[in-house]
Amino acid sequence: MADGLQQVKNWILERHPERQDIAPDLDLIENRLIDSLSFVEFVFLLEQESGVSIQMETLEVDAIRTLGAIERHFFATSGAEVAQA
Amino acid sequence: MGVAAPLPVTDRFMEVLARLSERSVEDYYNPYQTFQWPETLEENRFWMTPELLTVFGTEHYDRLGEETLQRLSKWESVNFYSLNVHGIRELLIEVVGRIHMPGFEVPSDFFHHFIGEENEHMWFFSEFCRRYGHKIYGSTAMRADAAWEPEIENFLVFTRILFFEELVDHYNSRMAKDTSLCHTIREVNRIHHQDESRHIAFGRELVSLLYQRMCQAVSAERVREVEAYLKRYVVYSVNSLYNPHVYKDAGIADPLGLRNALIADPARRAHERKAIRKPLAFFLKTGIFSDDVLPVL
Repeated sequence: MADGLQQVKNWILERHPERQDIAPDLDLIENRLIDSLSFVEFVFLLEQESGVSIQMETLEVDAIRTLGAIERHFFATSGAEVAQA
Repeated sequence: MGVAAPLPVTDRFMEVLARLSERSVEDYYNPYQTFQWPETLEENRFWMTPELLTVFGTEHYDRLGEETLQRLSKWESVNFYSLNVHGIRELLIEVVGRIHMPGFEVPSDFFHHFIGEENEHMWFFSEFCRRYGHKIYGSTAMRADAAWEPEIENFLVFTRILFFEELVDHYNSRMAKDTSLCHTIREVNRIHHQDESRHIAFGRELVSLLYQRMCQAVSAERVREVEAYLKRYVVYSVNSLYNPHVYKDAGIADPLGLRNALIADPARRAHERKAIRKPLAFFLKTGIFSDDVLPVL
């Protein structure tokens, strides 16, 4: 796992001490690991760790719905594929 | 949204509504002709009252130096007006969705004034941002929540609006009186403060009634969940003032680091409490909050 992605995962785990781990395909929104109030903190962190500038107005929720999607959209080794409409 | 239960209106509510509607008609002005917009605003002065800056009261305030602080005040003011633009945009969607709908028959007439005035506020705030900052900072709102019951949603919509208006009003009333700020900035803040005093008075009455209606419709456990959510919303709103994009525009190194440091800095809590003193007192008085302990997001 990329170091940046690990930081993102750690950030979520710190806020949900009841969880030991997060599966790559776990829906972060449905499972309330991220909601609209923590979302902004999450995006700022994602911007910092991935180096990708994120425009929240056009961000597709599916791009951040799971750790797997986050890895594909923001931490792909072929360069950052920006998940925006 | 279609809730059939009528609002538990009181004589007091009807009197307040009639008085505020009358004042909206009497105080009506044309915002498009009200402001004189100079070509530019002076760069080498404060655009925001220094005590309202997000670094105020911390070591960063002393470290940054006057020139950076002035630059920061420009971008923090553009961020403040941008938050207003997006806040109004979102609240209008919610109020338009409820006007002339079951459950809102009584306040619908005032909603017309509210929607009209809020649209005009959104215009002059966006005008300020585009003229003097050449941009509006992006919205940080994201719909990523599980749905609440309709009565809770109704209560939350107007409570969020009220809190947002009260928070903004703390800044408006302070800057309207700050003679060290330029005329345009003082006027934008003064006029908004004047209109918002009506909206806040209305919001307090409506939220009190919606709270009663919600408490009758859902369990006590659910009401406690609503309180916990609202407390997180209060912190979220306060945190939206610490925008890393603003720090970057002001030329400050490690913008996200500064945001995180300020949010974690105990020296900021007293200043934040000052900004939210009035809505917090209202939430406690009405029982919406059982205590004034706020969470860390």
